[in-house]
Amino acid sequence: MVLKVFFPACCSLAESGLLVGRWIPEQNSAVILAVVHFPFVPGQVKQYLAEVHHVTQVEVSVLGSWTNSKQAKEENLGRFLEDLSTIFSHDPWIQLSRKQGSKFWSCSTIWKHPSGDEGDETTLVYYDQRKVMLSQLHPPLDSEVAAASSLDRKVENASRLMAMFNTVSQSKVLFMKDRYDEGPIKLTHWQSEGVEASIIVELMKQASVPACLLVTFLLSLVSRVCQSRALTFWPLSFIWSKLSTCQQLRHRLQHLQVISSPKKAPDQSQLMRKANIFVSILLDVTLGILLMSWLYRKNRIGHLANALIPMADHVAQQLQDLLQWLMGVPAGLKMNRALDQVLGRFFLYHIHLWISYIHLMSPFIEMILWYVGLSACLGLTVALSILSDIIALLTFHIYCFYVYGARLYCLKIYGLSSLWRLFRGKKWNVLRQRVDSCSYDLDQLFIGTLLFTILLFLLPTTALYYLVFTLLRLLVVLVQGVIHLLVDLINSLPFYSVLLRLCRSYRLASGVKFRVLEQEAGKPLRLLMQINPLSYGGVMQAYRLPTYSCYPKDSWGSLCKKLFVGELIYPWKHKGEKQD
Amino acid sequence: MPSVQLDQTPRQRWQKVLYKKQPFADNYVDQSFLEKLRKNVHARKYLYWAVVFESGVMIQQLCSVCVFVVIWWYMDMGLLAPQWLFGAGLVSSLIGYVFFDAIDSGAGRNESGRTRWADLKSSVVFVAFTYGFSPVLKTLTESISTDTIYAMSAFMLLGHLIFYDYGANAAIVSSTLSLNMAIFASVCLASRLPRSLHAFVMVTFAIQIFALWPMLQKKLKAQTPHCYVVITFLSAVSALVGLLTISSVGAVLFALLLVSISCLCPYCLIRLQLFKNNIHGPWDEAEIKEDLSKFLM
Amino acid sequence: MACRRGGNHKHCLSTTSPSISNCHKLPSCSSRTHNICMVSDFFYPNMGGVESHIYQLSQCLIERGHKVIIITHAYEDRKGIRYLTNGLKVYYLPLRVMYNQSTATTLFHSMPLLRYIFVRERVTIVHAHSSFSAMAHDALFHAKTMQLRTVFTDHSLFGFADVSSVLTNKLLTVSLCDTNHIICVSYTSKENTVLRATLDPKIVSVIPNAVDPTDFTPDPSRRDNSTITIVVVSRLVYRKGIDLLSGIIPDLCQKYPNLHFIVGGEGPKRIVLEEVRERYQLHDRVRLLGALEHQDVRNVLVQGHIFLNTSLTEAFCMAIVEAASCGLQVVSTKVGGIPEVLPDNLIILCDPSVKSLCNGLEKAISHLKSGSLLSPEIIHSQVKTFYTWRNVAERTEKVYDRVAGEIVLPMGKRLDRLISHCGPVTGCIFALLSVISFLFLMFLRWLTPDYLIDAAIDATGPYGAWTQQYFRKKRETLNSNS
Repeated sequence: MVLKVFFPACCSLAESGLLVGRWIPEQNSAVILAVVHFPFVPGQVKQYLAEVHHVTQVEVSVLGSWTNSKQAKEENLGRFLEDLSTIFSHDPWIQLSRKQGSKFWSCSTIWKHPSGDEGDETTLVYYDQRKVMLSQLHPPLDSEVAAASSLDRKVENASRLMAMFNTVSQSKVLFMKDRYDEGPIKLTHWQSEGVEASIIVELMKQASVPACLLVTFLLSLVSRVCQSRALTFWPLSFIWSKLSTCQQLRHRLQHLQVISSPKKAPDQSQLMRKANIFVSILLDVTLGILLMSWLYRKNRIGHLANALIPMADHVAQQLQDLLQWLMGVPAGLKMNRALDQVLGRFFLYHIHLWISYIHLMSPFIEMILWYVGLSACLGLTVALSILSDIIALLTFHIYCFYVYGARLYCLKIYGLSSLWRLFRGKKWNVLRQRVDSCSYDLDQLFIGTLLFTILLFLLPTTALYYLVFTLLRLLVVLVQGVIHLLVDLINSLPFYSVLLRLCRSYRLASGVKFRVLEQEAGKPLRLLMQINPLSYGGVMQAYRLPTYSCYPKDSWGSLCKKLFVGELIYPWKHKGEKQD
Repeated sequence: MPSVQLDQTPRQRWQKVLYKKQPFADNYVDQSFLEKLRKNVHARKYLYWAVVFESGVMIQQLCSVCVFVVIWWYMDMGLLAPQWLFGAGLVSSLIGYVFFDAIDSGAGRNESGRTRWADLKSSVVFVAFTYGFSPVLKTLTESISTDTIYAMSAFMLLGHLIFYDYGANAAIVSSTLSLNMAIFASVCLASRLPRSLHAFVMVTFAIQIFALWPMLQKKLKAQTPHCYVVITFLSAVSALVGLLTISSVGAVLFALLLVSISCLCPYCLIRLQLFKNNIHGPWDEAEIKEDLSKFLM
Repeated sequence: MACRRGGNHKHCLSTTSPSISNCHKLPSCSSRTHNICMVSDFFYPNMGGVESHIYQLSQCLIERGHKVIIITHAYEDRKGIRYLTNGLKVYYLPLRVMYNQSTATTLFHSMPLLRYIFVRERVTIVHAHSSFSAMAHDALFHAKTMQLRTVFTDHSLFGFADVSSVLTNKLLTVSLCDTNHIICVSYTSKENTVLRATLDPKIVSVIPNAVDPTDFTPDPSRRDNSTITIVVVSRLVYRKGIDLLSGIIPDLCQKYPNLHFIVGGEGPKRIVLEEVRERYQLHDRVRLLGALEHQDVRNVLVQGHIFLNTSLTEAFCMAIVEAASCGLQVVSTKVGGIPEVLPDNLIILCDPSVKSLCNGLEKAISHLKSGSLLSPEIIHSQVKTFYTWRNVAERTEKVYDRVAGEIVLPMGKRLDRLISHCGPVTGCIFALLSVISFLFLMFLRWLTPDYLIDAAIDATGPYGAWTQQYFRKKRETLNSNS
């Protein structure tokens, strides 16, 4: 097996010293984390490494020696380094050395217990320590890989890489050294110069805890009020579940609870989730306030309210015209005159009722709008949800028409289908869930066929009314659907992850690629490891925030079937069905 | 039997068994090959006049359809008052009802266990529903083109003839479907008549001729074959005469159709029977000859 | 696509470096080896007689040193190439299933794929199975166009009475008239096939099915000897005579109070049995087990004393051999090839009627009570010599050897044969189709010439990479044992 040595690129210019890192025996590879410079006291080094091991749970040890010969002759140092291997016993002992001015390094390994595979080759892999430390490796997603065997292989590869990545990221402590702290040991790694603490960051860290506690307390108060008995008895709870504003508010409340919880996020994905939610709320509120500032300038609310009533009137008028048209000979279709008239008058009466209701409301509209507009400061999504609810309320008559039409049509289809079975001398067997043949009496047959004939000839009239109102209803549903989609987008888009991917693409890694560097015969193979950033699709898949609203559960086929048999379709989504 | 032969010549004889290793090639063809082949095991011999007699059912049904259409035409033209038809229908129904029980002197009724009260109820339901719905029927197809209605009725009557239970045991037969198609056609045609009373009478007449009349016929055929022949002949003549008053060409064509069905087709059947070549053998799927439904009663 | 994947496998295989020098040392290697391609719509994961026949036969042929591949259609997500035991390579082709697991056929759309595989795998003999399989007929048709030898195995019986059988028989005539050799599973099946396809009986061989006797061993301790148990294992469909069973159960249960029935299998007729059970209050005595996995069949069989088979038609009844191998007394209807399967002392044959079957069962019960029945071990030792897959493979190999010596009809003669043999109308239509298929083949050869199609590494066969290992290992274990 080839011996792999992962070497941090930043250490290639370091002075001679000891290689500190982790040995991964299963993969026969060594991950070099830092170089310890001369001079050092071996006992101190050992103690330091033990401390690091204790804190990070990574088995850090001295793996070998590193020689960067600036001066041409330093042979005695070389011998000294060889002697070191007896002090820091490690199997295998890696000796890396770099001649001045030469790009190619020589590498030799010494096995304490020769195991027969002595003729090992060594591969040097350079990696960017900072990027590897910060990056989050995403294992390949199952759906991307079809064949089972290659999937196994990929998962295996991923777990190997994962071990390497984890080693680097877990030994953060090794790199976190204060700039002004003069320790007994001098290390070279990506942050050799040390870090400088920032007062502002420290203050914010201190302040965040009480702020979180305060917000949590307020939130729990609010949610307790929401769950109080007075607001959850039957008719109200039903209305809450149907109003998208309530749904959106509840959703946001949950979000706030998540980010204000003072507990530390257990893992990387939870952390990302918190950050995503935070950015999403921030963006939402900003957009909402922008909208509000636009609305309340120049009395736009008043204009809107004045325009609303005539618009509703206009819609009602259009509907009336449509009904008049249907009661005549619409599109040259010859319908059953008597049924046509009955249905038409019924619907006209409804429109009449609706117009009176709107006019009763008209003096209060402006006031309502003014107060409702204030809600935009809670976020754009809340404002949009309210808009969707207002549309639903203003088109209530269309909904009613649709329900009447659909029920009538559904009844007719249902009757026709069972009478059609009777017509063929069959019946539906409920117990066995199938159509059985059956011998009917003569009078049953006669009445059944009579009704079948009548229903069949009346079907086109009902179907036309149903069709027209369904189209109207679909229009409303479409508008509401677009609004919901927008709300959903803001709710679910992981803005923080996307930004991260945009600006610091190495933070979200999906894998690595190796570039072969120049080679010289007899010298070890040199590879440069580069991080493959996660694709945007992958980012979405991994960090998409769950939302309450789901896209219609039905496929297009089943939607069409529902429309055909006259089942009611609803725009609102049921919470239970969503979260799967 | 094969085992006996085996005893006589134990070594050389080929056996039709698989479990024994025999000194023959796998593709060996024995002399006994295909000896169990039988031909035309179930073929039936037909007698000409018997077949002609059986064709009476079809003649009757064709005539019924013809009479129905002729009567409808008379009503549509205003040549026949609905009261007359209703009266005639009522009288003939009563006669038929009495006749129905008289033929087998009530044996069939006792067997089916149907009371006269149930009969009365059924007939009241018929009349009440038809009468109640007749105004609806009248306006039902107003906006639909007359040609469409005619086409639909013709299609339905044809279906009635196709699916009618002539006594053959085939999958296509469905007396329910056949009756329903006839009623559907009658409702379609009735809706074209000038007044709702016409429609009511027409539908009633349809029930009489398509539902009640075949029941009587079946009984007649079983009990008094001679009488049945006479009635078949009479109905053929009446249908022809009725058709003649409307269209002489139609009458001639209809007569030809009747003759070919009752005389020519039986002849062809008997001639073609000679060419029958049906192979049977041990590979046939066995038929279950017992009546297994008794176990589930 | 399948072919590309095959390419990948090739690279995997090449690492195992086949050692050709060993091939002559293979055990039971026959005089010549063939590259055989089994084609059928029916293969695992579908379960049934044809499926296990193909699998077992292929395994035995591989053991005898032939190269065998199997082509079937994709079953849901099982598509592409799979390797089974001993490197048996199975192509699951992406063809649309139409009805009853049989693919839809246009006679041409499968040709590019099949031709590619035949060329890739250097197939010399195409062996199609089951007359219900459209893919098998397609493959025969294309193989003949490509001048390959063809063998067909018929697993089923067909009547001559109704319209559908007239049509299918005509198609069979067309399909088999220029096939080199046909294999039937029983003599009755041979007579049937010869009549259906109007064949020369000389080119029809009879090679019965087999069962693996080690899978079906008796275990009398599992029986409950305080009662008498009758076992029925079959699909619950009309053709298996379940209606007869529904008459037998109440009849016998009334006569014998300690009689029990165990019925294994699933199907549309299950409802009939359930109704009977309900009607006669036999819930404690009639157990309906539902669908059985193949490996569970033996455990059900050994619980019974008598095995009942009520089939109305059967080419070769594997169920009764399995039951007899488990040491049960078999009572069966005398239909199809059943009388040929077991000797008279192991089976009681009855007419397909409730009365006759009840008499047969009563006879078996009285034998059982008087103790004159053979003991299960004796029956087993007798049955296990009858049908073995090795024997089947040996006899099939003879057919292959014979076929390999024959010539495939060239195009002109094939057209003559079609027209003279299949009637003027059908013959001409199919002659035209075969001309089209020939032109299509020319087109495909022009598109991707044969020499551009790289040969697959053999997993099995004389130079097979897997069989080398397999037999080497086997030999080693043999040596170490001895």
